[in-house]
Amino acid sequence: MSEMLNKYAEIIGSAAMDSLVRVADRLKGKKIVHVNSTRSGGGVAEILSSMIPLSKELGLDVSWEVIEGDESFFNCTKMMHNTLQGMPGVLSDRQKETYLDTVRRNAEKLKDILGDADYVFIHDPQPAALIHSFPKRKGKWVWRCHIDVSAPNKSVWKFIKEQVSAYDASVFSLPDFAQKLPHPQFLITPSIDPLSEKNIPLERDEIEKTYNDLGIPMDKPIVLQVSRFDKFKDPLGVIESYRIIKEHMDIRLVMAGGEADDDPEALEILREVEDAAKGDPDISILMLPSDSHRTINALQSGADVVMQKSIREGFGLTVTEAMWKNKAVIGGNVGGIRLQVINRFNGFRVRTPEGAAIRTRYLLSHPWKRERMGKNAREYVLENFLITGHLKRYITMLISLDLKEGPWERWF
Amino acid sequence: MADAKIKPFRFMESAVLLLATGIRAQTLRELYAGLKQVDDSSIYFHFWGRMVRPHISESEFNNDFASWINSSLRDFKLAEALGAINPVKFQNFDDIRNVILDILDKRLENDDFLSWKKADRDFHFIACKKLVFDTGTEAASLEEFPDAVRNCSRESFFYHFIDGRRRSPECKDDFTLWLEQFPEESASLRKRLKNVDSYLFSLSELKAQVLSIIDDWKAGKGGMM
Repeated sequence: MSEMLNKYAEIIGSAAMDSLVRVADRLKGKKIVHVNSTRSGGGVAEILSSMIPLSKELGLDVSWEVIEGDESFFNCTKMMHNTLQGMPGVLSDRQKETYLDTVRRNAEKLKDILGDADYVFIHDPQPAALIHSFPKRKGKWVWRCHIDVSAPNKSVWKFIKEQVSAYDASVFSLPDFAQKLPHPQFLITPSIDPLSEKNIPLERDEIEKTYNDLGIPMDKPIVLQVSRFDKFKDPLGVIESYRIIKEHMDIRLVMAGGEADDDPEALEILREVEDAAKGDPDISILMLPSDSHRTINALQSGADVVMQKSIREGFGLTVTEAMWKNKAVIGGNVGGIRLQVINRFNGFRVRTPEGAAIRTRYLLSHPWKRERMGKNAREYVLENFLITGHLKRYITMLISLDLKEGPWERWF
Repeated sequence: MADAKIKPFRFMESAVLLLATGIRAQTLRELYAGLKQVDDSSIYFHFWGRMVRPHISESEFNNDFASWINSSLRDFKLAEALGAINPVKFQNFDDIRNVILDILDKRLENDDFLSWKKADRDFHFIACKKLVFDTGTEAASLEEFPDAVRNCSRESFFYHFIDGRRRSPECKDDFTLWLEQFPEESASLRKRLKNVDSYLFSLSELKAQVLSIIDDWKAGKGGMM
């Protein structure tokens, strides 16, 4: 077994690794292609950054392609993203045209690699229309939807549905997100990579140095939210929550967001957050480059309480990252967070800034409970949300797509 | 040394793939209607599949129907009644389905507030596909058995110990059935394995418990070895 696989085996156990190797053997010789819209920034890019090397290490023939687009394309797809998560809005005919034209141009570039693939994963709405350019496709195509489409804007969903209906299957993170589609809809949760810079264990010195370099004294309990500056992550609600906590205890709030090539709204939201912070010296707002994985790791490792107060969430990878670092998490009671955070077991789910404030105060006032919940959190991630299990579920799904119709229980 | 008459234990492992059905319930009546529509794999998933998806051992109920009725409808009496169903006692999924429908039917006859109350969260019926793979690993003798169980994957343990009880007409797990080849040596081990309640633990805890029983037996504390 390679060095990389051995490292994973040290974490997940050799039995789990052997099992992954065995199932991957069944896809040897098949070409797998993943397509998304950015190589860095955001959960999808992070997952693929780990999944591709792991897949290759397992002997799979896998590649990762990224579609290209101009500002008008990404404005359009950001609007799709927002409206699919329930915000009001309408896609104009011109926007639809921009979207379809851009995807068609990308299809031309990717014609050989996608036409020849045995399995194609298309991630999220941005590249979804690619399938229409491959009427004679050879392989099975899967649409992987990472966002919370539990209550989508109907007109935008209608347009997306026209793009994704032709797929052989789709994958959602939760049953709440599944839609009426003419193909099987698998439910697979996203994951984190325990060997990535973002999740490897760090020495205390490095954690303290990172905080120091960022100008954040570790003299008070630190409450952290790591996420893109995005309305759905409710950064203003986090600041409101901080102000309520401050009436009772002295803390620092750190809000760290990353840049993403496909998110044109981030700067606007960042300005709103800075305005709301009103120069409070105990609030640190950080806009970090998309490759600041080790910095994020240190911030999470050094925080006393981690918050993810989202009001919509496909699946909070930052929640899983914090849990992996033995942190009890206070998460919004939405989307995938409902599956990740179990009340009183590994954190708390909240609905309001007031709720987040009281739970934060509770955790900061009960260190031994915080510690126990943090331990539970790590165990929970180990069993459910690591990249190795995620990849195994993808591989098994691909195997199942090649099966002819038959009973739901199959022996090989 | 392996005995030629002894049939080796062949380790399999299962992968349970979850599928959305699009069928959801907000009330008891909708749960009743959904139960009539879903296929067997959905009944299987909501009783057994919960072991192979994110869940915690603190969960009081052995099936998702009871959990949902408890947490989202807050009909605690009904949740307890459904939680008492022991699914391995039934010959097929339709029998399990009918027992649940009977309990719900009786509850709905009351026609009180709780029977039409809207739940805090929808119940999503989930179906599944289960693929079972041969791992190629065998335990050829009683001596090899403890380490082979220790080294098997979570999915393999699930298939043999938990799912095995469902597949066996006598509700016996696969380990127990295999150990019957050694009637005297394995008697105390089989007895202790039979007493393990597979619904009160997470999969990892359950495996740890079974391994501890096997280790005790191997060390001669609870067995004849």
